[in-house]
Amino acid sequence: MTDHPFSAETRTTGTGPVVTVRGELDMATAPRLRARIGDLALAREQLLVVDLTGVTFCDSSGISALIAAVNVAAAAEAGVALVAVPARLARTFGLIGLADFFPTYDSAEEAVAALT
Amino acid sequence: MMCEAGDHPGPAFSALLEDSAEDLYEHAPCGYLSTLLDGTIAKINTTLLNWLGYERDEVVGRRRFPDLLTVGGRLYHETHFAPLLRMQGELGGVAFELEAADGTRLPVLVTSTIKTGTDGKAQLVRTTVFDARDRRAYEQELLRARDEAERERDRVQRLARTLQQTLLPPALSEVPGMRVAAYYHPASADEVGGDFYDLFPLTGDTWGFFLGDVSGKGAAAAVVTSLARYTLRAAAVYAPDPAAVLDHLNTVLHQQFHGADPRYCTVIHGRVRPGGDSAAVTLATGGHPPALLIRADGTSSFLDLPGGQLVGALPNPRFATMDVRLAPGDTMLLYTDGLTEARTQGRARYSEEQLREDLTGLAPTTAPAVITAVTGLLAGFGDGVEDDTALLALSIPLPGSDRP
Repeated sequence: MTDHPFSAETRTTGTGPVVTVRGELDMATAPRLRARIGDLALAREQLLVVDLTGVTFCDSSGISALIAAVNVAAAAEAGVALVAVPARLARTFGLIGLADFFPTYDSAEEAVAALT
Repeated sequence: MMCEAGDHPGPAFSALLEDSAEDLYEHAPCGYLSTLLDGTIAKINTTLLNWLGYERDEVVGRRRFPDLLTVGGRLYHETHFAPLLRMQGELGGVAFELEAADGTRLPVLVTSTIKTGTDGKAQLVRTTVFDARDRRAYEQELLRARDEAERERDRVQRLARTLQQTLLPPALSEVPGMRVAAYYHPASADEVGGDFYDLFPLTGDTWGFFLGDVSGKGAAAAVVTSLARYTLRAAAVYAPDPAAVLDHLNTVLHQQFHGADPRYCTVIHGRVRPGGDSAAVTLATGGHPPALLIRADGTSSFLDLPGGQLVGALPNPRFATMDVRLAPGDTMLLYTDGLTEARTQGRARYSEEQLREDLTGLAPTTAPAVITAVTGLLAGFGDGVEDDTALLALSIPLPGSDRP
C-alpha cells in the first residue's frame, strides 16, 4: 500500500556501505532493494549494514532481498548486519527460523563495534 | 540588418505571391466551401470538388452542405453541429464522413465559422474540410491494438488459470475415517500465485499432505512451486519422516536458486495415520505459520514448531517436527500468510490471533465447515487479500455425525 512510500538509500562510511530502508518491503519494492544491494561495490572485510528502522511491512519477497544481502556479502567476503529490526519483522524471522541467520544489532554503531 | 534576402525578394518570388490568393483557394491542401445560412453551397474549391468527384455546377446553388454527408452525419449536423455553430459563431475539428459522387466515403474534419455583415447579422458560413484518412487509419490502428491487448490479457489470464490448476490437485484423496477440505484463493487473475497444497496416499494406512508458499509470484514463482510440489510428493514416498522430506526439498531448491536472487518456500508437511476413532499426525515445518488445532471441547492452539527454517535459501537448515493426535471433533487447519496478512475492512492487517478467535467458536467442527468459514472471511476482506491464500483442513468426525 502507498501509506508508507518505499525508499532504500545508501551512504558510505569508513567501515562500508549503510543501506537505509523505509516503507513497505514487498513484491513491488523488494526488487529495488535487491538492485541497490547488487550495485554495491563491497570490498573484502568491509561491513554491509542494512538499517530497517523505517520498515513498516516485510513480506516473503522482502525477506528474499535480505537473504540476497547476506549472500552478496558472503560472496564478497564482507560482513553483514541488520540493524534496528522492527518487532513484527523480528517475529517473522523467528517464525521462518531465521532469528539466528541474520546478524542483528540495535544500531549501526553497535554493529560496527561488534563486527569490525 | 537581420535578413537581407527577405528584404529584397527577387522578382520571380513576388510574381509567385501575386497570383497565389486565388490559386491557394482553389488548390489548397484542404477543402473550402461557403454556404448560405440554409446550407446551400455558394462557393466550393477545386480540391474539395476533386475529392467528391463532382463538377462545380452540380453542386453550387443546387446542394446543401449536409447533402454531401452520410445519413448519420446529416443527422448529427442538423441536431448538433448547426445549432452549436449558430450559438457559438464557430465550431472546429468535428469528424464527419463525406459521401463522394461514386458512393465512396471520405473521413474528414470540419471547421466552420459564421461570417457576419457590418450590421452584425449572419451572412454566410465558411467551412474548411480536412482529409482525415490518415487520422482515421490511426484511430482504427489504435482500436485494433486495444482489441489485441484485450485478447492478449484474456490469453494470459487463461494461461495463469491453467498453470495454477496444474499446481493444485484436481481433488483431494479420501482418507478413511476423516474429513478433508481445501481451498485456493488467487489474489490476481493475471498472475500465477506461489501457494500450493496436496494430500495423497502413501503406503498402506498412511497419507501424506503438505501446504506451502513460495516467495514471489508469477512465472518465476511457478517454476519453484512446481519443483517443490513434485519433489515433496516423490520424497514423501521414500524418505523416513517428514523432516527428511523437507531436507530433500531444501537440497533441490538450494542447488537451483541461490546467490543474489534466492528463492525459497515455507512448508508444512505431514503424514497422517487414521486408526480407531482418532488419527496420529506427524508434522514438520520449514518456516511456515503454525497450523491451528481446534479441539472438540472448544479449546484451540497453534501447533508451534519453533526453529523450523524456510526451505531452499540456506545450505543446511534445521526443521522441527512434532506429533499430535486428532480425536473425534478435532480439526486442524493449515493456511498461508495471504490469510493472516490480509487487510481487514478497517485496513489493519488480520492476524493469527484473530484467526484463532474467529474459528474457535465453531468447535466442535469439521474440515469443510472451517474452510467455509475462512472462505467467508476472505470474501469479506475483498481486495484486502493482497496475496494468494491456500487452505487445507483435516478433521475427525464426532461419533454419530451423518458423514464419516
